[in-house]
Amino acid sequence: MTTSTPIPFNPQVIRFSKGSKPVLVPNEWQVWNGEQEEGDIPDREHGAHKVLVPLHWWITHHQDADIIKRANQGEIGVWFAADEDVLKHADIIEAGKKVWPLVAAHFPVFRDGRSFSTAALLRDRLDWQGEIRAIGDVLIDQLLQGARVGFDSFELRPDQNLDIGLSQFSLFTVTTQNSWRAKRSLLSVVSA
Amino acid sequence: MYKYDHIDQTLVNERVAQFRDQVARRLNGTLAEEEFRPLRLQNGLYHQRHAYMLRVAIPYGLFNSKQLRTLAWIAEKYDRGYGHFTTRQNIQFNWVTLEETPNILADLAQVEMHAIQTSGNCIRNITSDAFAGVAADEYVDPRPICELLRQWSTLHPEFAHLPRKFKFAINAAKEDRTVLLCHDVGIELYKNSAGKLLATIYAGGGMGRTPILGSLIKTDLPWQLLPTYLTALLRVYNRFGRRDNLYKARIKILVKALGPQEFARQVEGEWAHIANGDDNFTQSEWDRVAKHFTKPAYKKLDALTLEQIIKSVPDSEKTAFTRWYERNVRPHQVPGYASVILSLKHHGIAPGDVTTAQMNAIANLADQFSFGELRATHEQNLVLADIEQNQLFTLWQEAKKQKIALPNIGLLTDIIACPGGDFCSLANAKSLPIAKAIQERFDNLDYLFDLGDITLNISGCINSCGHHHVGNIGVLGVDKDGEEWYQITLGGEEGHHAAIGKVIGPSFYADEIPDVMTKIINTYVQHRHDEESFIDCYRRLGIGPFKEAAYLNTKAKIQQANTEELAA
Repeated sequence: MTTSTPIPFNPQVIRFSKGSKPVLVPNEWQVWNGEQEEGDIPDREHGAHKVLVPLHWWITHHQDADIIKRANQGEIGVWFAADEDVLKHADIIEAGKKVWPLVAAHFPVFRDGRSFSTAALLRDRLDWQGEIRAIGDVLIDQLLQGARVGFDSFELRPDQNLDIGLSQFSLFTVTTQNSWRAKRSLLSVVSA
Repeated sequence: MYKYDHIDQTLVNERVAQFRDQVARRLNGTLAEEEFRPLRLQNGLYHQRHAYMLRVAIPYGLFNSKQLRTLAWIAEKYDRGYGHFTTRQNIQFNWVTLEETPNILADLAQVEMHAIQTSGNCIRNITSDAFAGVAADEYVDPRPICELLRQWSTLHPEFAHLPRKFKFAINAAKEDRTVLLCHDVGIELYKNSAGKLLATIYAGGGMGRTPILGSLIKTDLPWQLLPTYLTALLRVYNRFGRRDNLYKARIKILVKALGPQEFARQVEGEWAHIANGDDNFTQSEWDRVAKHFTKPAYKKLDALTLEQIIKSVPDSEKTAFTRWYERNVRPHQVPGYASVILSLKHHGIAPGDVTTAQMNAIANLADQFSFGELRATHEQNLVLADIEQNQLFTLWQEAKKQKIALPNIGLLTDIIACPGGDFCSLANAKSLPIAKAIQERFDNLDYLFDLGDITLNISGCINSCGHHHVGNIGVLGVDKDGEEWYQITLGGEEGHHAAIGKVIGPSFYADEIPDVMTKIINTYVQHRHDEESFIDCYRRLGIGPFKEAAYLNTKAKIQQANTEELAA
């Protein structure tokens, strides 16, 4: 449940917390694919000193002393591959609430919509209150959908225009189904 | 019919602006074609053999004269003076440019129309009974639910990138006129003895390479709970539907792989967590929508028999009018009224095609005779739903002038056909010339009338947009080493007795198809009992005699390729 290609790093991410405006912030989190040598978790690459590790790697290594130490310092988060069934790992995610500053869900290709459901389940079912970041092949035109299902930060693919990205969230002032952020506009209508 | 309020209008306007920006980014090169493709498809824009094609949504097939005049204007201004009604009750324009598409969408938005989700791997335009709200055999009017679900599915964020396209059909009548069981989700509505509106859900139907009829997965679902139940269903599909193989990505493959019971169990498991949430429809939402589907101002009229109607018809016209009445007029819920099907199947014209002039004329007929409303049928015809019976003769005369009065509804030449290889870049073979050749061969109305009900559906490739699997006679274009061949299936049927047709054998060359049709039809004529329809005769006799006749003296040879084809 990993990607075999190296995951690119975008030095800026869009943070769009619930109830706030979307802003650009420095990216402190490096996404690691877990495929380097055993235990060789990267450190301070790209100036980012916090690492998002694959869920399966966390499951194997979370009792290692150095990992416990780094996790206690708030330097380790977990990301879910698109084919990861988060519901099967509900107990691990529950325990993770205490140690992971954020989680991420991966888009292997922008048109693979599985991580939209992953984010929705993390919010609705697993009651994940912290940050959920969209990573991988994240393009401008998927931001709005991501923001509505439960993502609140986005590491865009490095070639994407961040300013156009920031402008995506205000394209629609009405909605016809509930989202993580707001109830549908239709509920505000008092029928005649 | 439904009328937009400020929410609907704002959403459509904002969607136009969003797409305009996406097109601008495509044109200035910052958005690559591969990444633009899903975005344009989700707004109904295909790139075909010669040009872009824009598919405009006609939600559940219902539209009005003002909208049709705008469609006519779009055909004139941006296209080549015609449009094509599709099997999913939409209309498409085959010759638009990418640059002009945002303007077309802006024109459409002014008359409460759009192209949202008419393509792409998302919830597509919802289809329903073309006779909704007027059909004599209706249990309940499905249109409020159609509209509620149209809104619920519009720009749904979680299901914008499903494994594959996802089609809903909704039926609420005794007869099924929606091909319900060939949809990813089929919803049947009815009222229980306590008057509660309930839904039965079928899932996993579809055509394409692996035609499968939908399986029953839920009964007695209260209408209010449709959004949460459908969310659960789509969530299971979104997460576990196959994404590794385009041809195995539809929900039918998942339902088949898991088994309908297990699929239903997983949906229930997901639903249990969300069923009581506030995603469900409320009474005020129902009221907001349902108030638009009240009955029009019907006059108090006496129901007329055909004998009474034709009293005022001149003797010279009686036979022709009666024939049209029998084929193209349908009973209505209200005494003194009838519904009329305008045939878009005049022989020699591509099935479903209408010119700008015809569209304008049809809009006038709708205003003059039918409260300004129209419906598109999945058979690619149009319906004027509310005609006073005493106006039928006048309407017929007007319709004849527009060449939309051919009395061939349900007959052999009422052919369903996709645009095929003349336009579509997916097609393996042309379908329109085949339709034309068959219509020319069977251009005798007396004979067609005598043959009675036969459905003939033609698809230019295995995507099955022409619904060939469920035609009594199906024709499928196949490619063999760059040549166009046609495979014939028999025994398909729509409705509650839906069935997938059986392949009769090796494919034929295009020029053999009219002869093959003649042989199949002759076999029926030769063997039929009194009043026995083609499909009943086929079911009694089996495929044998038809197959034997079809291959008599043909060039068709059994080739190795056919073995594979037959197994598909």
